[in-house]
Amino acid sequence: MIVNFYLNNVEVSYSIKPGEYLAETLRRHGVKSIKVGCNESSCGSCTLLIEGKPMMSCSVLTASLEGKHITTVEGIQEEAAKISKCFSKQGADQCGFCNVGFALVIYALKREYKNPTDEEINNYIVGNLCRCSGLQSHMKAIKEYLKEE
Amino acid sequence: MKVNEYYRASSLEDAYRKLQEDPKNQIIAGGLWIKKIGQDCNALVDLSTLGLNKISETKDEVIVGSMVTQRDFENSNVIRSLFNDSLAFSVREIMGVNFRNIATIGGSIIGRYPFSDVITGLLPYDVSLEFYPEQKMSLEDYLSYKGKINAILVAIHIKKGSGKGFYKKVKTTALDFPIINFGIAKVNGEYRIAVGARPLTGALAHKAMDYLNSQSKLDQESYKKAAEIAAEELMLLDNKDASKEYRTDLVKVYVRRGLEEVSK
Amino acid sequence: MAVDKKKLKVVNNITPSVDGKGIMQGRSFYTDDLAAQGSLVIKILRSPHAFAHIESIDVSEAQKLNGVALVLTYKDVPHVSFSRAGQGYPEPSPHDKFILDEYVRYVGDEVAMVAAVDEETANEAIKLIKVEYKVLDPVLDFETAYENKSIIHPEDGICEMFPIGFEPKKNVAAAYEMEVGNVDEEFKKSDVIVEETFYSQAQAHAMLEPHSSNARLDEHNRLVIYSSTQTPFHMRRILATTLGMPVSQIRVIKPRVGGGFGGKQAFHGEFFCALTTLKTHRPSRFVYTREEVFGASYTRHPMKISMKIGAMKDGRINAIDCRTLSDTGAYGEHSLTVFMIVGSKVLPLYNKVDAVKFGGRVVYTNHVPAGAYRGYGAIQGNYALEATIDILAEKLNMNPKRVREINSMKEKETSPIFEIMGEGTKGTAMIMESCKLPYCIKRGAELIEWEKNWPRKKISDTKVRGYGMAIAMQGSGIPFMDMGSASIKLNDGGSYMVTVGATDIGQGSDTIISQIVAEELGTTVDKIIIYSSDTDLTPFDCGAYASSTTYISGNAAWKAAQKMRARLIKEASTFMEVKPENVEFDGKTFVSGDKSISLVELSTKMLYNANLQQVQVTESYYGHVSPPPFMAAYAEVEVDLETGEYDVLNYVTVTDCGTTINPMLARGQVEGGIVQGLGMACFEDVKYDKKGNLLSNNFLTYHIPTHKEIHKLTTEFADSYEPTGPFGAKSVGEIGIDTPPAVICNAIYNATGVRIHKLPITPEKILKGIKELKK
Repeated sequence: MIVNFYLNNVEVSYSIKPGEYLAETLRRHGVKSIKVGCNESSCGSCTLLIEGKPMMSCSVLTASLEGKHITTVEGIQEEAAKISKCFSKQGADQCGFCNVGFALVIYALKREYKNPTDEEINNYIVGNLCRCSGLQSHMKAIKEYLKEE
Repeated sequence: MKVNEYYRASSLEDAYRKLQEDPKNQIIAGGLWIKKIGQDCNALVDLSTLGLNKISETKDEVIVGSMVTQRDFENSNVIRSLFNDSLAFSVREIMGVNFRNIATIGGSIIGRYPFSDVITGLLPYDVSLEFYPEQKMSLEDYLSYKGKINAILVAIHIKKGSGKGFYKKVKTTALDFPIINFGIAKVNGEYRIAVGARPLTGALAHKAMDYLNSQSKLDQESYKKAAEIAAEELMLLDNKDASKEYRTDLVKVYVRRGLEEVSK
Repeated sequence: MAVDKKKLKVVNNITPSVDGKGIMQGRSFYTDDLAAQGSLVIKILRSPHAFAHIESIDVSEAQKLNGVALVLTYKDVPHVSFSRAGQGYPEPSPHDKFILDEYVRYVGDEVAMVAAVDEETANEAIKLIKVEYKVLDPVLDFETAYENKSIIHPEDGICEMFPIGFEPKKNVAAAYEMEVGNVDEEFKKSDVIVEETFYSQAQAHAMLEPHSSNARLDEHNRLVIYSSTQTPFHMRRILATTLGMPVSQIRVIKPRVGGGFGGKQAFHGEFFCALTTLKTHRPSRFVYTREEVFGASYTRHPMKISMKIGAMKDGRINAIDCRTLSDTGAYGEHSLTVFMIVGSKVLPLYNKVDAVKFGGRVVYTNHVPAGAYRGYGAIQGNYALEATIDILAEKLNMNPKRVREINSMKEKETSPIFEIMGEGTKGTAMIMESCKLPYCIKRGAELIEWEKNWPRKKISDTKVRGYGMAIAMQGSGIPFMDMGSASIKLNDGGSYMVTVGATDIGQGSDTIISQIVAEELGTTVDKIIIYSSDTDLTPFDCGAYASSTTYISGNAAWKAAQKMRARLIKEASTFMEVKPENVEFDGKTFVSGDKSISLVELSTKMLYNANLQQVQVTESYYGHVSPPPFMAAYAEVEVDLETGEYDVLNYVTVTDCGTTINPMLARGQVEGGIVQGLGMACFEDVKYDKKGNLLSNNFLTYHIPTHKEIHKLTTEFADSYEPTGPFGAKSVGEIGIDTPPAVICNAIYNATGVRIHKLPITPEKILKGIKELKK
């Protein structure tokens, strides 16, 4: 079947299988920034934004996205660079497999909350696993990014 | 997982008709559980264009469309204003926001999952389910309904009331299913106690509730007694997450604590 | 030559990761991102039985399926035994694995391989393979494995490369014994003796990038393997030997790796990619499912460790005896080396003993195999030793911190164990040129307010806080065995191309090596272009394991940079027609009296105008010692006495890793290690059913710590300088993981009086203990 949606504001039309999930569709079409860590909605590495909301692309049926707006990290390059700067400063980046998912979820967090509490931040990002860092450095980096104008 | 067709239903009637065509046709809510199970099916029936993603209220009740996401549910001011935010709280502890933006309230209820936070969170309140074709059933009745219901869950009706709620999920880490969970409330003066992930599906502790609701005066001792009754009457079992013994201990502690909390 | 740390401009200074921005922007390419278009997809039929013999296998239906390119069973692959361990040569692990075999030894073991045009077809073909198994009695309790009537490796053709105690007919993969002095005699003199037994579990690495590999043939028909590996050079050698190919016909490329922690030291899908591409001449790719990562790669070795410690009334420990039984699962990867580290990187902490004994065996079982995992051996040994030290302290009626102060390693001291025990072989004697452990203990105690808080603080009738501590050590590479090398090439415009075999697997070695080279050449990291690692293009390196990269590969890079510096000065002196010894170089300009030439000019002229040549240097380094980093760790836990639930409120560490080349990355290594160690201590339970099926095989059933479990990490470093390390550095990759099991065990004991002898330390176990104490 054919599905049409907006990928980083560009209209695309993909031929897909009815039971296909978004991570698979996008990677097949060359969007390799999507990282699939578990393919069962529990690690968060494949997170992207649908209508501005973070979702795990391994678990969203592509066919359900007709007419929707999808944002990958390619659509938020400058913000990703800013987030990276905060990560670097706090020693939060290591293998990087989870980073793109984090960039998108943190970007969405900033747009959804003005001054989130630690608890609100944790509730927002807890679905993104990281096995390398001490996790505390993420929190510090996120707070720094949230403060930026 | 093999799927032959993706079907966007134009109405509830249309969705229901499609469902009757083939036993291997299936409603998708968020699509998460279908992926987890990975079972082949004929057609996936999508309800997302039917306006079931809204939360509304009347004087007496709050009506939650079955396609409302967990995230929209926890963020809804209407929901948050109910029973000191305890309904939203039960949902807020499920995975991360990138999961809750996909998962729907209807999907969380319809499968009667033993580990459901949503079910245990809703059970202590006066909650009924609205189906298509027209049928209404209390949440508790649905949980004990034998067999698969041949209808589409349309909305969840939550009766308003005054009082407080308490929700506790005992877990290993934040991404864990509950080892056991508790939904406890005092609404309009009546106590309600629900325990889920026993590891069986959420259930109300009627004997403990009857005990509390028949007492003229309640104190710490009565909460303790009610917790013991609950531990006695509910079927608690061993599984890989915890032993029956540990679950029993947890029921005694958290039911008591929950009752203390909602009585404050 | 000691370097004045205050004069350092790049090393030991805050430097962002060289690759951080590109990675966050999604421009990083991991192994599967680089698979050739149209690659055949590989899937494995895995054993449903813990132990069975394949009586017959029929793949005809699978082969007939449209889109299937290749099906392989044990009948179709070379019958050459090897070890997947990914170690140097000869390996200290038994050669007990075949690419495919007629026996299957754990649920998940490989039965057959399918390569097909897409995943759906490959999965379909897997279902069409008909296998008749003769189910054998599995060994699922490692305490019954030794001389069990079920022999897990009855087959011919398996061997040890040199004596490691390999006795497959007794289910023994490796064994080892050593004794310094006579412990039995010394125990007779001890005033106090404690003996305790501890069990640790099969922790999973749970790196976010699943095991991935792919293969293609290049225009010379050479085999090119892309692999998410920590050891590309070992991989090339082992592929060549096992497949009977010349090393020259294989190229292994390690792209960006999404976490390893030892889990990617070994082979996972590479043989199948190699065989598929060699047989079909088509590119192929293989990505493990998350379930396969958990259930069909390998885990940490579960162990049973009995620790017996004798001490005098004044607190001096006079003898330690450590008996260990290790479960290597179905195959013996790293069986001996992990086992020996339980002794060699743990027992020297208490170096003032009159006698010390260590030994036991590593047995086969029908569990998921065990292999290398960050801190291997050390974390298991540390749990047993450091928990027992606390038990001893209580018996001595002393503060456990005091017992550690009296007995632990100090600067300029040594331990006889260093010379006796290496990794699978004899060790290397060494003196601790840098050891700030006493400072680490003191500073950590200040940070947690030990004297005020230990052992416990009551918060309410149901809440109590407990305080626990432990100390730890590691190593920095394996002396006379681990070798790293680096090449530096001068580009026109004055930048440097650095190629290293050192494998950056996310730990940040590309950044650290760039810093070392930049510091020595007086430049900044933006002038360094670093590339790791590719067996065709980069010089040899043993790989990222044994805490070796900063120390071994870093030293190689430092040596190469020193050589480059001398060479540049020589070439500049030729241009300026002066003597090299009179030339000063500040990284930008060469000056001698009133003559000068800039690096930009020199580098450009040498390629286009005069004295034409490519300036390139290569240096190698191997350790003569393995200087240990040290750590003191403390934790504050809050326990709910009614439910056993607890939170780790603060985890304090002070680390001596010599100079921190990159202070933030060093912090990342320590804190990342701690959180993995906390995972093992508190949450990560490994569960099998009675038939040997792994139940904890995804992120919903195997619980790694999330942001909500980590409350506060207080991380400091001691001011320390290791004279043999690059700019004074020692390793820091593994030390962080070692302490949490013991620290949490001690803290929980101090809070509740309950001593947990089996990891993980779960609320259920604690509550059970509390209830027993009340009886």
